[in-house]
Amino acid sequence: MPSQGLHPGFIPPYILHRLIDHGSEWQRSRALNTLSHVRQLLPNPGKPGQAPVVEKAVPGTLQRNVYDAHQLTVLPGALVRVEGQRASGDAAVDEAYDALGATHDFFWQVFGRDSIDNRGLPLAGTVHYGEGYDNAFWNGAQMVFGDGDGEVFQRFTRSLDVVAHELTHGIIESEAGLVYRNQSGALNESISDVFGVLTRQYVLKHNAETADWLIGADLLTDKVKGKGLRSMSHPGTAYDDPVLGKDPQPAHMRDFIVTQDDNGGVHLNSGIPNRAFYLAAMALGGSAWEQAGQIWYDTLCDNKLDNDTDFQGFATLTVEHARERFGATQAAAVHKAWAGVGVDVT
Amino acid sequence: MKKLPPLGNDATVRLSRQGGVTAMLSRPREIEFAQCNLDEREQICSLLNGCLPLTSADSGRGDQRFYQIEVRFRQDDRDDQLMLQVPEDQAPGELVRLWDKGQVS
Repeated sequence: MPSQGLHPGFIPPYILHRLIDHGSEWQRSRALNTLSHVRQLLPNPGKPGQAPVVEKAVPGTLQRNVYDAHQLTVLPGALVRVEGQRASGDAAVDEAYDALGATHDFFWQVFGRDSIDNRGLPLAGTVHYGEGYDNAFWNGAQMVFGDGDGEVFQRFTRSLDVVAHELTHGIIESEAGLVYRNQSGALNESISDVFGVLTRQYVLKHNAETADWLIGADLLTDKVKGKGLRSMSHPGTAYDDPVLGKDPQPAHMRDFIVTQDDNGGVHLNSGIPNRAFYLAAMALGGSAWEQAGQIWYDTLCDNKLDNDTDFQGFATLTVEHARERFGATQAAAVHKAWAGVGVDVT
Repeated sequence: MKKLPPLGNDATVRLSRQGGVTAMLSRPREIEFAQCNLDEREQICSLLNGCLPLTSADSGRGDQRFYQIEVRFRQDDRDDQLMLQVPEDQAPGELVRLWDKGQVS
């Protein structure tokens, strides 16, 4: 049993994190409690990407900072590649660097958006987070990518659309701030899928007809019976596997899932607006980012979009923006797309 | 802050790790107090009390994972429920172990 109270000094957070990751259950618990307390005492250090910030003179200038967590869960980790540096030779580092650049380029070239906050916020991403960590996320200040367990999921930086999905969570927080619960949360997830998949289509020069409309097609190992995490064209068909189960996403309001899990099913019911976007993109034709993507982007940036909006509220605004930017034909196509998933536009 | 009510023989605890890109890997675990001895019940209640100040209203935001604890119990002759969401980076090791292994110590 460790002695108590003999050394009243301050234990650095990196040692606490080491105990959390590698210590016994007792040590992990105590270290977590201590770290939680320390966080309350420390001043906010600011966003992780701020340290190497350089003054930006030209809008649209890309500034990337990629960090390595070295299998720990300390953020941001060690800075391993900054803007302009050559490839590191570490696949996760270089994939994150390239994918963040591709996503920034997509938003800048297509929508004239300058990074997450539209003011050139440097993009910070941490790779090798945790041990066999099966997730990627946006924590309010940066993106984080696990290496995957290797059995079911591969490293999350392999998937450009997943990296772009996480970056889009940051954009949504800067714009509509959609509450991450129930229908507004499902819209938050769906919009991240939309711009995730559009980034990939833009890079691969796919149009609506030639695109696969899959999210995370590069993540699953060969052992998994599936083609991706989600299908936007046919929600509920991405996988059917002994470990993962069957893809539970609904594609229509008649199958809407009422649950208190997953913040009200934000990763489930996102299948409904995902399919609406797919139907709109197919009806409008061509490159999906040019019309359907622009309409969804205009809607996301509209001050009239409430942060707790439901599918119907969002859908109504997309039809308005389709009419304003492109005309009655496009508005009718978007209206029909929402009707196709059982969402009535007022 | 929420308070943990007295938990009797009829209490159940459902524990799952939720959210994130791989939200399908929640692996929910259900623990019936009727199947636990007194020591186990006390350890679980101690753990749940320790989780109360760690709960966060915006758990899950931006694909961040969290542990969801649903406590179902009977109080004043009616069924009731308490739900807690603990962000993954705040979760005590004992909570992770209970979810992962079904063991309290």
